[in-house]
Amino acid sequence: MRLIVNGANHEVTAPAHETLVTTLRERLHLTGTKLVCGRGECGACTVLLDGVSVYSCLTLTAACGEQAITTIEGIGRADDLHQVQAAFVEHDALQCGYCTPGQILAAVALLDEIGNPTEADVVRGMSGNLCRCGAYPNIVRAVLSAAESRERPSA
Amino acid sequence: MTKRFVTTKVEVEGRVETKIAELPSRNPEPWTDATELHVVGQRVTRMDAIEKVTGSARYTADIQLPGMLYAALLRVPVPRGRVTSLDLAPALALPGVRGAISLDDLPEIKIDGVRMFGREIVYAHQAIAAIAADTMEIAERALHTVVCEIEPSAHVLTADTALEADAPKLRKHGNAPRNTPRIITRGDVDHGLFDADVTITREYRTPCALHTALEPHGAVAEWNGNAVTVWESTQGVFNTRSDVADAFGLSLTQVRVIKNYMGGGFGAKNGASHATYAAVALSRRLGRPVRCVLDRKGEQTDAGNRPATIQRVTIGAKRDGTLTAIKLDAEIPLGAGGWLGGPGRIYHELYRCANVHTTERFAYVNSAPMASFRAPGHTEGNFGLERAMDALARELDIDPVELRRRNYAEVDQERRRQYSSKQLDECYRLGAERFGWSQRTPDTRGTGRIRRGVGMSSVIWGAGGGPPAYATVRINRDGTIEVLTGAQDLGTGARTVMSQVAAEVLGANVSDVRTILGDTERLPFASNSWGSITTASVAPAVRVAAEEARDALFDAAAGMMDAEPQDLEARDSEIHVKSSDKCMCFADICEKLGDVMIIGQGSRGPNPENTAIPACAAQFAEVEVDVETGHVRVTRVVSVHDSGRIVNPTLAESQVEGGVLQGIGYALFEERVLDARLGLPLNPTMHDYKVPTIADVPAIDVVFVDAPDVVANHTGIKGLAEPPIIGVAAAVANAVTDALGVEMNEIPLTPWRVRAAVTRA
Repeated sequence: MRLIVNGANHEVTAPAHETLVTTLRERLHLTGTKLVCGRGECGACTVLLDGVSVYSCLTLTAACGEQAITTIEGIGRADDLHQVQAAFVEHDALQCGYCTPGQILAAVALLDEIGNPTEADVVRGMSGNLCRCGAYPNIVRAVLSAAESRERPSA
Repeated sequence: MTKRFVTTKVEVEGRVETKIAELPSRNPEPWTDATELHVVGQRVTRMDAIEKVTGSARYTADIQLPGMLYAALLRVPVPRGRVTSLDLAPALALPGVRGAISLDDLPEIKIDGVRMFGREIVYAHQAIAAIAADTMEIAERALHTVVCEIEPSAHVLTADTALEADAPKLRKHGNAPRNTPRIITRGDVDHGLFDADVTITREYRTPCALHTALEPHGAVAEWNGNAVTVWESTQGVFNTRSDVADAFGLSLTQVRVIKNYMGGGFGAKNGASHATYAAVALSRRLGRPVRCVLDRKGEQTDAGNRPATIQRVTIGAKRDGTLTAIKLDAEIPLGAGGWLGGPGRIYHELYRCANVHTTERFAYVNSAPMASFRAPGHTEGNFGLERAMDALARELDIDPVELRRRNYAEVDQERRRQYSSKQLDECYRLGAERFGWSQRTPDTRGTGRIRRGVGMSSVIWGAGGGPPAYATVRINRDGTIEVLTGAQDLGTGARTVMSQVAAEVLGANVSDVRTILGDTERLPFASNSWGSITTASVAPAVRVAAEEARDALFDAAAGMMDAEPQDLEARDSEIHVKSSDKCMCFADICEKLGDVMIIGQGSRGPNPENTAIPACAAQFAEVEVDVETGHVRVTRVVSVHDSGRIVNPTLAESQVEGGVLQGIGYALFEERVLDARLGLPLNPTMHDYKVPTIADVPAIDVVFVDAPDVVANHTGIKGLAEPPIIGVAAAVANAVTDALGVEMNEIPLTPWRVRAAVTRA
C-alpha cells in the first residue's frame, strides 16, 4: 500500500494488523516516534493523521492509506524549527526527551485546533501525554508561548 | 616526589565508601562568591535540546543495525515454584525465529542475587528464556508457543511473614539478608524517652513505587570478532562494561558500551540487566546484532522498584521541643533481591538528638527485586520522620518550622563529621517567606466540601560526589572545543553544564564547546550517574583539564601575539593582551597551530577529610481536599534548595520541578499492587499505575540559596538530582492532615484512603 509520510510517498507491505508506530519505526526508520506503553496510555507515539493527533500505537497502518501522516521528522528541521519546537527549546520543556516528539505533535495539533488557547486549554489538550521527568510546567509555558508567537507571525 | 594517589571518602546514596583519588595536576583556588564567572551560573540553553525536539536524538531502543534481530523475554506467571520442563522447539520452528536461549546457554549470571534464567522461580514475571526473531512481533508470538511446566509452591510477600521461622525461603540462609536487622544506635534511647516530657508513637506506611522511565531497560549488542559493542540505556557505561566482561569472561578491551541518549533512569539503570545479557548472548550465538528492549509490562514488573516500608516511630521531646529520643522500627520487603537502602539513616541525620536507635528489618520476599530509586531510603524515611515531627509539633503546639529550627543539627552526628556547609536554616527562612507560612490561619482551612491545608518538610542528602572521575579537553584546529568524560546525561543536563565549566575556564563561547559522554572505548572514566554525584564529581575534573588546555593555548598565543602568557586573557573565544587592543580569536590561533592538538587532562581530587557534604532543602506544600470524593489536589509547592553553586538555573529548576512532581506522584497516586493470594502484580500498565499528568501540576516555586560550597570542592558545586523528591510526600501528607484534622499516615493518599480518614474523623 501507499503511505504518505511527511509529504513523501512510501510503498509499504505490512500485515493488516500492524500498527502505525511499528511501520514508522521499523520499516521506515522514522525513530523519532517512540513506543512506550503500546496501548494508548502515554502519548509518546503521537503523530498527526491529516492534521489530527492520534496514538500511532492504536492506529492500524492499513487504515492510513491516502491520509497525510506527519511525524516529528516532518515538523521541522534543526536549522528550521517549527514554532512549537523552538518554544520547547527556549523554555526547556524537556529533560530526557523521550516523550518530547509526542508532546510536540500533541501541541501542534492543539494549536491548529485552538489558535489562542488558555492555560486550561493547554492542560486539557496535553493531558494525554505523560512525561516522567516532570517537564510539565515548562511544557505549559512552551505551548502558550508558541501560541503567542503564532499570533504574531512577523515577530 | 609528591604523593600521587590518596584515599578519600565518597558518599553515594547514603553509603560512605573509601575510594582512591589521583591527585589532579593542579589544585585550583576555589571559585568563591567573589569570583567573577561569566558562563557558570548562566541560563545556557540545554545543549542537546535540538536533537530532542527534532526526534533525531537516537536512544537505545532506536538503534537499528543491518541484519539486526529482535529479542523478547519469556516470563513466568507465578511468584514461586520450579520450572520442571522447558521446550523451546515449537518457538524455533516458527518462520522468522532465529534462535532461543535459556539457562544452559548462559554463563552463570546473577542479577540482584537471583540466577538469570534460573529454574527456581522467586518472583512473578521472572524471565526464564529469550527468543530472537526477524521482527519483534514474531519474537513475541513465539513466546506463546513455548511449552513450559512449572511446579508452583507457596510464596511470601510481606516482611513480617517472610521473617517467620517457617516461611518459604528465598535464600539458603533464610529471608533476612546478612547483617540484618540493621541496628544503628547512638546514646541511650530508653534514657532519652524517660527524660521526655512528651512522647508520640505512630506507624507510617509507604508504598512500593515503580520508576516507570519512559524508555524501558534495553540493549543492542553486536559482536565483531571476539569483541562486543553494547548500546545500552544506562546510568553507568563503565559499570555495564564490567558486568558484561565479568559475565562472559572477556577482557575490558573486548567490551565497548555506548550510551548516547536515554529516556530516563531514576536509579534503576545502574549496570547490565536481563536485556543486556540476553542481547549479548543471542548476538554471539547467532552472529547478528540483537536488540532486546523490555516491553512496558516487563519494565513495570521486573526492572526495579522503591520497596514499601512500615515505619514504627517513637519520638520523645521536652516541652520546649528539644528532642530527647528518636526510635524507629521498620520493615522493608526488598523483593527477591536488592541492596539495603533503608529508611533509617535520615532519622540519624536530620535533627540534633543525642539518643537515636533505628532497627531496619529487611526481608527477601517473592516479588521483583528493588533497585535504587531517586534518593533510595531517604524518601521513604523522610515520610515517617517528618510526619512524626509534624505530629509532635501539634502535640506541643509549636510551629512545625520552629520545632525543626530548635533541633537544628550543626554536625553530622552519626559519623561525627563537620559539614562542609549547610544552609538548611536559610532554606527554612526563604521557604517560609516565599510560601507565606506565617500568614496561615485556621480560617483558611474552610469548613465546606473543599478543605485547605499546608505542610512542610526538611531534606538532607549526602551529595558531595567525589573521585575517581576524569576529563579531557581538546581544542580543534578551528578553535572549537571538546570535553570528553565517561559520565552520562540522563536528561539532567550534564552535557550542558560540563560545557559551561570548560567554557568558563577557557574564556570560550559556550556554543563552541561540545561535551561527549557515555562511551567506554573513547572516553576517560567517570562513575555511574547516581546518587546526585555527577556534577560535583566531574565538573572539578573538567575545570582542571580546561585549565591545562587554556595554559597551552595561552603559551601558543603568547608567541603569536608577542606577549607573555600571564598578560593574556580570554573572553568569547578570543584572546586579548591585557591593557592593549591586541586580540586573536581561538580559530586563528589554532589554525596557525595546524594539526597541533591542545589537550588538557583533569582528574577529580579527594574530598575534604572528616567532612560531610550535604545538599539540603525545605519543601512547603498547600493542598485542597474534597471531603466528599477524597480527592487531593496539590495547589502550590515552594521548594528551596542548598546545592552549593548552581551551574545553570534553568536546568536546575527543571530538575527540581521534576523531582517535586515525582514526589507528588509518590504522595498521591503511585503504588504497585500485588494480589496477595496469587502474588501477581495487578497494575503493570501506565493506565493502572498512576504517574502525575500535566493536569496534576501545582504552582511550583523553585528557589536556590546558590551559595558555593568552597570546602566541598573547588567549583563549589553540590548535587541536586535527588533532594527535590525527598520531602514532598511528607509535606503533602502534613498538609492534608492540616486540612482534615485527621492524621494521614499512609501513602499514597488515594481518594478511598482520604475518604476512609474523613469517615473515621
